[in-house]
Amino acid sequence: METFDYTDSPYPIRPDIRKAHQEYWQRLSRPGSWWNGEQRVAIAAESRQAVNCAFCAERKQALSPYQFAGQHETNQVVLNDVAIDAIHRIITDQTRITAHYIEQNDAAGLSKNAYVELVGIVVAMFSIDEFHRALGLPLEPLPTFEIGEPSHYQPEVLSDDIGFVSTVPPHGAVGAEADLWSDGRTANVVRALTLVPDALRDWRMLSDAQYISFASMANFVGDPNRSINRMQTELIAGRVSAINECFY
Amino acid sequence: MLRVSALTTETDIDLNAINGDTDSAAVGITYGPELVRFAQSFALRDDQLEQHREALLKTAGPEVLVDAAGVAANFQRMTRIADSIGIPVDDMQGEVGQAVRQDLNLARFASAQNTLNQKTR
Repeated sequence: METFDYTDSPYPIRPDIRKAHQEYWQRLSRPGSWWNGEQRVAIAAESRQAVNCAFCAERKQALSPYQFAGQHETNQVVLNDVAIDAIHRIITDQTRITAHYIEQNDAAGLSKNAYVELVGIVVAMFSIDEFHRALGLPLEPLPTFEIGEPSHYQPEVLSDDIGFVSTVPPHGAVGAEADLWSDGRTANVVRALTLVPDALRDWRMLSDAQYISFASMANFVGDPNRSINRMQTELIAGRVSAINECFY
Repeated sequence: MLRVSALTTETDIDLNAINGDTDSAAVGITYGPELVRFAQSFALRDDQLEQHREALLKTAGPEVLVDAAGVAANFQRMTRIADSIGIPVDDMQGEVGQAVRQDLNLARFASAQNTLNQKTR
């Protein structure tokens, strides 16, 4: 059976959105750089669980998330508590994630490489599920994972100049990373997940369909393949970001 | 981005729309109030999402609704990427960016510290 069969949708879903979601489901099911397929699908499942976690809701009200004890609501059997907490934090309390938190997790066994891949899965999953929620559509059943081992791939050129983890610097999109951007220039948000380059490739593919393509980023009038112009697009983006307390 | 887009198209807008003022959203932006109400209910996860989805559908049509849902969902992702990795704003000195941050009082957000307290690691 095909995934993301939107034939029951009361609204016509653009083919490129469907294709991007289908493609992501395939990528999700395969072994990644630092997690195997079973773990990647488990991360996706846990990101769904986090949305309605009562402990997260209570902790978000606390002055500090680090001084509030309790247990997440989870049925997880594949992932450990450190990974589960990171997933829930990214979904429900991301503005209070700190470098110290990531260092602590690293010391507890969730390496920065694995954390970045986990972030990539959680946010990709969330954006697909949230698209469905926005339109009142049921969530897509998770894919069956493929057997195999993670590649442990890491880019050759890395820098520690921004953020909580190493990233590919603007001049570092070379060799296997040459497709990430060109001309030695890019934005920090594009660099964010580059410790795991496939995580950037995943979000770029989804963003091309859900938002605007990288190629159209400098077109501030509007993409002819969209029914809303750039101002309408950025109005929505800005309002959602403001509610999420996004300074960036 | 909204301000740059307005400058590019020489459109007068009111940036207070970003903070949820639906009257401001009506200035220069087609379906602005409906788009803001939909985006707001969605991001707040309140119980009016269905009502605002239907209002946007009725006013603007299904294609606009689907595109709006895509953008809204996309920015649930972008915010979390930025904050989970702690990336700073690229250019704090840019004139447009400074004005927008000041107008919207963005420094009140906890994640502003990722930029304001940035130091070389």
